[in-house]
Amino acid sequence: MTSTDEAHLVRLIARGDRHAFDELYRRTSPWLAVRLRRRCADDELVADVMQETYLAVWRAAAAFAGAAVGGTAVGWVWTIAARRLVDALRRRARDGRLPLAALAAPDAPAADDEVLNVVLGDAMGSALRRLSPDLRQVLQAMVLDGLTVRETAVLLGVPEGTVKTRARRARIALREALS
Amino acid sequence: MVRAVSAAETAATTYAWAIHAEALRVRAGRRMAVDGLDLSMDTGVHGLLGPNGAGKTTLVRSIATVLRPAGGTLTILGEKVNGRIDLRALRRQIGYLPQEFGYYRRFTVREFIEYIAWLKEMPAAETPAAVQRAIERVGLTDRADDRMKTLSGGMVRRAGIAQAIVNDPRILLLDEPTAGLDPDQRLQFRALLRDLGTDTCVVVSTHLVEDVAAACTDVVLIDAGRLVHQGVPADLAAAAGQDSGAGDSAAERGYSAILRRHRETQS
Amino acid sequence: MNLSNHVTTAALERYATGGAGIGADALWAVEVHLDSCAPCRERLGDAVARHSPETVSLLALVQANLASEVARSPRMHSRRLPRRISRWAPPGLWPRLAMTLLVLAAALGLDLAASSQAFPSLVLLVAPVAPLLGVAAVWSVGLDPAHELVVASPRAGLNMVLRRTLAVLIVVIPALTVAGWLAGESPARWLLPCLAFTAGALAFGELIGLRWAAAALALLWTAGVITPSVLAARTPVLLEPASLPYWAGLIAVIAVALVLRRDAYTGLRSSTWFVR
Repeated sequence: MTSTDEAHLVRLIARGDRHAFDELYRRTSPWLAVRLRRRCADDELVADVMQETYLAVWRAAAAFAGAAVGGTAVGWVWTIAARRLVDALRRRARDGRLPLAALAAPDAPAADDEVLNVVLGDAMGSALRRLSPDLRQVLQAMVLDGLTVRETAVLLGVPEGTVKTRARRARIALREALS
Repeated sequence: MVRAVSAAETAATTYAWAIHAEALRVRAGRRMAVDGLDLSMDTGVHGLLGPNGAGKTTLVRSIATVLRPAGGTLTILGEKVNGRIDLRALRRQIGYLPQEFGYYRRFTVREFIEYIAWLKEMPAAETPAAVQRAIERVGLTDRADDRMKTLSGGMVRRAGIAQAIVNDPRILLLDEPTAGLDPDQRLQFRALLRDLGTDTCVVVSTHLVEDVAAACTDVVLIDAGRLVHQGVPADLAAAAGQDSGAGDSAAERGYSAILRRHRETQS
Repeated sequence: MNLSNHVTTAALERYATGGAGIGADALWAVEVHLDSCAPCRERLGDAVARHSPETVSLLALVQANLASEVARSPRMHSRRLPRRISRWAPPGLWPRLAMTLLVLAAALGLDLAASSQAFPSLVLLVAPVAPLLGVAAVWSVGLDPAHELVVASPRAGLNMVLRRTLAVLIVVIPALTVAGWLAGESPARWLLPCLAFTAGALAFGELIGLRWAAAALALLWTAGVITPSVLAARTPVLLEPASLPYWAGLIAVIAVALVLRRDAYTGLRSSTWFVR
């Protein structure tokens, strides 16, 4: 069970293998669903986005499987899903329906997560925890989810200028905390 | 996935307008097609209206950085087009559908848009997803892998729109995008325009006043290379007033009325 | 499985339930880790199945909808011939290259049929301008349907023109070599003039457009050199070995001019009557 297996699955899907497609769904959909639900409170929207995402993978698998593309299968799946989410939110904004605020970032620290410090390091971890939720949301959208400033603005329902300001403040705050 | 965010990306915007023209003059052939144009456009859908020969296509081509202005200033995303600028970086943020959309007939829709994505220097890793997204947004999903020569005129136009939006540009220039679209497709196109207009500066040059009135947040009327009127679509209908000028709808009558009044003041 | 540098099951459960019981730093770390760890994603699936019924029903709903959509959805067929060749030679180039090969074949045929040895080789006479048929199509409104889009793109510029010109040369020069060898001419006689004309067309093209420049140079050579040589049945001075150093010098000068004015190929030009 490695990422090369997932790339192999995509190659099989490119040849029309339904079983490979179902297997890819089985392996990646829980992760995608959980991650999307933490960014959008509307389950119906999340379901739509997931459906569109996996359909796109089915339709264009041959393009994704191309050797020149690089990246991992979950990488592309997330890219597709994140952009579909932004598109769906944009449609809502256009229709005048208020864009759904992302779920507020949680604050309560938990006890047994020292094992994760190997990923982040103590200083970074506590710096992140001390960031205000506003700034952390922007950071998450841009750094972790790979969205651009414009897309982050749509996702969070704030103006572009605000996104940029918060990103700058987040960077300053992190730099201070880490030094 | 985890990516580095550059300082340039989060730097505060230093310009007020996405597109700003001051006393702009652009030559087309031997004629000065744009002759002293003052115009400012920002996020939203801007409908560019005007009679034939008004300079619409020349204006669009100069914003697309295909034509160099002969005089005045044209500032796109804060960069003055006349000066020494990083043309490549600027063009990566522009999407353009020319009036005469030329394509490679033996390419499939997907292959052609991928080629354009390569021309726009999009990273190879992002291209397949971006191409698929562009195809789906214009409603060509079912024909994505058919050769372009098998498409009808309206579908070709939609493929043209797809290639313009594949790089998610900040400025989108569409010259006569609805040519050949049937009414249903035109409705879908207007919905797409409204989506795009929420965070992009879209300039739609068109003859169809109805398209403009329905989908645009801002109407720009030019004649003989100069700005005649800029305002919300409701202005057009309002300008019709009691005039029984040419036109089947209030917007068309308003358009004719404004144009006529302008020409009267010019002569 | 050794869990020493993976996410703990408890953390996965808290992540899966979508609740607030997970710290911001842990959240970040979990997501970064899951991006690249398939076993942990598998374990997340288990955690979801056990602890998050909402997510389970969401997944079932999506899967059901997908099944019907996928069944009737068109799928991209596996790649046909890769289109990457079009990054070097756009479609408009191929007919021109075919034409060039035909011209060379005709010249070769005439050479081989010629009885007199003193008659200058047609292949040699044509060689310097042979690439120009193809070069004209490299950056031209008429011969590249997508030219407006190409010219407006970030990649437009001298590099792209050179790339496409290289594609022309890669076809034409070996063909010339073969034809020349069959006609009894060594490449040393025509290679430098050939390159000089190619570079000259590119440089001249910065002023008046590549199609016109290529046509003008081809015409000049045909009228000024090929015709007199054929009529007088004499090899022209310009193709004698003694002239080669001058050709080399010319190439150097042209190369400098080409680089100095390369902005002409980025497409941002003032419109004039001969340049649309």
